[in-house]
Amino acid sequence: MNFMPALMDINLNEVPEGHYLVVHPLNDVAEEKVDTSALGPMPMTTSVRLSLMALRGYLVLMALLVGYHCVDLAGVFGQH
Amino acid sequence: MQEKVIAISTAGTEAVPTATVVRGRIVRSKWAQNLLTFLMVFGPGLIVMEADNDAGAVSTYVQAGAQYGTSLLWLLLLLLPTTYFIQEMVVRLGIATGKGHAAMIYQRFGKWWGVFSLVDLELVNFLTLVTEFAAIALAARHMGISPYLGVPVAAAGLMLMVLSGSYLRWERITIFFCLLDLAWLLIAFQLRPGVGEIVHNTFIPTIPAGGVTGNLMFLVIAIVGTTIAPWQLFFQQSCIADKRLRFSDLKWARLDTLLGATFTIIVAGCMMLAGNAALVRGINFADPAQMANALHLAANSEWIRYGILLLMVNAAILGSTAISLSSAWAYGEVKGWPHSLQMPIKDAKGFYATYAACVAAAAAVVLIPRAPLQLIILGVQVLAGIMLPSAIIFLQLLLNDKEMLGEKYVNKPWNNWVNWTIIIVLFALSLVLAAQVVAPKLFPNT
Repeated sequence: MNFMPALMDINLNEVPEGHYLVVHPLNDVAEEKVDTSALGPMPMTTSVRLSLMALRGYLVLMALLVGYHCVDLAGVFGQH
Repeated sequence: MQEKVIAISTAGTEAVPTATVVRGRIVRSKWAQNLLTFLMVFGPGLIVMEADNDAGAVSTYVQAGAQYGTSLLWLLLLLLPTTYFIQEMVVRLGIATGKGHAAMIYQRFGKWWGVFSLVDLELVNFLTLVTEFAAIALAARHMGISPYLGVPVAAAGLMLMVLSGSYLRWERITIFFCLLDLAWLLIAFQLRPGVGEIVHNTFIPTIPAGGVTGNLMFLVIAIVGTTIAPWQLFFQQSCIADKRLRFSDLKWARLDTLLGATFTIIVAGCMMLAGNAALVRGINFADPAQMANALHLAANSEWIRYGILLLMVNAAILGSTAISLSSAWAYGEVKGWPHSLQMPIKDAKGFYATYAACVAAAAAVVLIPRAPLQLIILGVQVLAGIMLPSAIIFLQLLLNDKEMLGEKYVNKPWNNWVNWTIIIVLFALSLVLAAQVVAPKLFPNT
């Protein structure tokens, strides 16, 4: 017994009443999404600015720590 | 799309002016529509989660079990909602914009942050790929197969998976590999400790015997970093964009992600139980392949040995395809190249070339005699620890971008409370890891 309804080309205007249409996303009509290209950069509100500053600080700190560790491994601060 | 059709057919409104024809199925009941739609949407969530149980994850979870038994199972349970919350934001962003994460960072935060994120992603991904192929070489060697055969065959298989010009074909193959990880449940069942111990240590957080040591902190950070990886943010958003998920698919994509997270955490727990079995039997090992060999003798079960070795290869294959695709998608998005698995090679040359280059280069590095693989593994951990907080901050800022997403898809206040908590914890863990490196005596050793 075949439980899966057949895959077919369906006119959107001709779906029988009381029936439901199932379309795979890749077969569906392209949906209109948010147009991000027209927006440009994000407005630098206080929270965005603070978040990016915190991130920069974190990255600088991590870079310094990694640099220190590499220099330490190279024995610049003496063998241990 | 389905709701629009129902409104038209039942409300008797004006028909769509042009005769739009789509390829689909007609069903007679709402539940059948829901089930079929879910099955069609299902995929990116499971793949992004289970591919995170890659070779590095196998090593980490098995090591956790071997050192601390079942004492850290509660950490996995804690990570389940964490990883779901993060990936759910990625789902919303991907469906709303139809674009990848790298493209969004570039557009909304400018060139500097865009290039930083891309370079960091590509570097971490490449190093991770090397560790995946290193695991394939290791498992192959233990199965009596030369790495000079096993690694190129795996690389060729990875390329064939994507080169068909069909997203669905790649997705179905990858889902098959994901479901193969169900074998971890069989292995865990064979090797299990008492059910009471598993349940207790899963739901009651405990500090293992010996207290908080440097080793424990390092392992906890490694588990967190393994369970929530930066490439996942880029991968799932690009995958959703490539699969063209619709606004009406959001609830099914969330369910897909939740099921994927649950499945992944259960499999991770099984890996920990495998490591615990080694601890209980007094087995010492340097890597999961050695553990597999030793366990089969101790448990008198040959299938466990080959099971673990093959699952190591499976984990590496899953990780490799997902990570390589996240690199190829991200690079294609930023460069403005066509970048879709639906396109044949001739229409998306740059995209497929990036994927192939990642796979080929990583495989080649592993085959170099005396390649510094341990240094690479350490480098991956450090770079991922640096990258993860920054990737999540961008995600959080994008999900609060009302100008872009509108009221419907931005984070609710409770989303923000949860996510900022996660971000602060991740920052703290990264700083603890860095502090351990700089000041190793900060935590007592075992």
